[in-house]
Amino acid sequence: MEITWGILIVIYLFTAGVSAGAMITSNLALLLGGNDFERVSRWGAFISPFPISLGLGVLLLDLGSPFNFYRLFMTLQVRSPMSYGSWAILLFTLLSVVYLYLWLPQKFQIIGETKSLEQWKKRLAKVIPFLSVGVASYTGLLLNAAARPLWTAPLLPVLFLVSALSTGAATVILFSALSPWQRARHRELQLLTKADALLIVLECFILLVMIVMGRLSSLSIAEAYGSMIYGQFAMIFWFLIVGLGLIVPFSLEYLELKEKISVRWTLPVTIGSSFLVLFGGFFVRYIITFAGQWSRWF
Amino acid sequence: MTVRMGFVIITSRCIDCDACMVACRAENDVPIGKTRNWVKSSGVQGEFPKVKEVFQPGNCMHCDHPPCVSVCPTGASQKRPDGIVIVETSKCIGCKYCLTACPYDARFANPETGKADKCTFCLQRLEQGLKPACVQTCLGKSRQAGDLNDPESVVAKLLAKYPSRQLLTYVGTGPNIYYIDDVVPEIPEGN
Repeated sequence: MEITWGILIVIYLFTAGVSAGAMITSNLALLLGGNDFERVSRWGAFISPFPISLGLGVLLLDLGSPFNFYRLFMTLQVRSPMSYGSWAILLFTLLSVVYLYLWLPQKFQIIGETKSLEQWKKRLAKVIPFLSVGVASYTGLLLNAAARPLWTAPLLPVLFLVSALSTGAATVILFSALSPWQRARHRELQLLTKADALLIVLECFILLVMIVMGRLSSLSIAEAYGSMIYGQFAMIFWFLIVGLGLIVPFSLEYLELKEKISVRWTLPVTIGSSFLVLFGGFFVRYIITFAGQWSRWF
Repeated sequence: MTVRMGFVIITSRCIDCDACMVACRAENDVPIGKTRNWVKSSGVQGEFPKVKEVFQPGNCMHCDHPPCVSVCPTGASQKRPDGIVIVETSKCIGCKYCLTACPYDARFANPETGKADKCTFCLQRLEQGLKPACVQTCLGKSRQAGDLNDPESVVAKLLAKYPSRQLLTYVGTGPNIYYIDDVVPEIPEGN
């Protein structure tokens, strides 16, 4: 089978997830954590517009007729996830830029008053999460709509959402732990790491349910999941996703939370585990995209 | 009753000469390396000396519920009232969503235009009252096309007389190519 959607699509799926995840992290940190979590909120806001912008650029490159892309925004095809998804990512990207602007230091603000600035941040933070959940999960619906055995899994949108939250949080951890400016405090990182560890457990569970459901399903679907667990995608699945992308970062985060790691190693471990979460998240998109197109009905 | 255009393909009459592919390429300027129709082989079946090979020609199934049409983000992929599935090229952005959505892999990205390309039922010929090029050229008379809802059509007459099968019906696409595997000694007269 010829692969029609290649690595560019994988990059888009991944970056859209990171952006949506970072945005939700930022919104929740602002609404629930307030001043104590200011650094996390700020970094989430600063990161959010960029991965998805890169993804959109790459998506444009993948089009066979890129100058025709405006056609997407001359219509709304309610049955096409790509159609409503395009509107959602357009709105999300625009709002994420506005949200980033509101987080810039005072001297860049034209709104002026700090008070109304804070209000606007909070208003946006209450609205954008819904859009972010849409951006993170519609890609699952998008694949659901294409009649391929591996993509029939109803849990696909949920898997993408959880993976988006996990990779988004990991990106925020990475930047806010490394940055000399507005570096996250220990408590912030601690909580974020805890959330990320929980998301990894959840992701493992979803993958497990998907595989069990798939294997118990019709022959074509069982075969499609077979390609992941023992077929030609098995190396990627077990080694890059389950091993390096889920188990290793979870173990590192667990040790970190139990304070089993000496102070000298804390930073490298934090960086290493969040990098691996991103790495795993990328290959989750990769395997779903490629194994999905490889899978066929018989 | 509404018109429902479709194909009937008699596998027992196909000799894998691939003239349908050549005729389609010539009629529709299909780029080399891509094809709008095909002939698939079952491979050798049975054991010597009782061996056989079955050929299964195909193209777009012009489905009743075409996933390629519902996933199209710009409305370029359409199902006409007569059932023919087409791409309105000016609206196509080349996202290739329809390519991945088609369980029969009946579409391809045209390397010259970057847009989705597929069987059009030879609309330009239908307008002149002609059969599609692949049907016209088929020397075994394996390929037949017409209005499945018209009892006077060749396809309807064949389906009334012989048992037929469709491909991947459980995917829910409602394909409109009917395959007849039985020996068909004579093709009935009809529209």
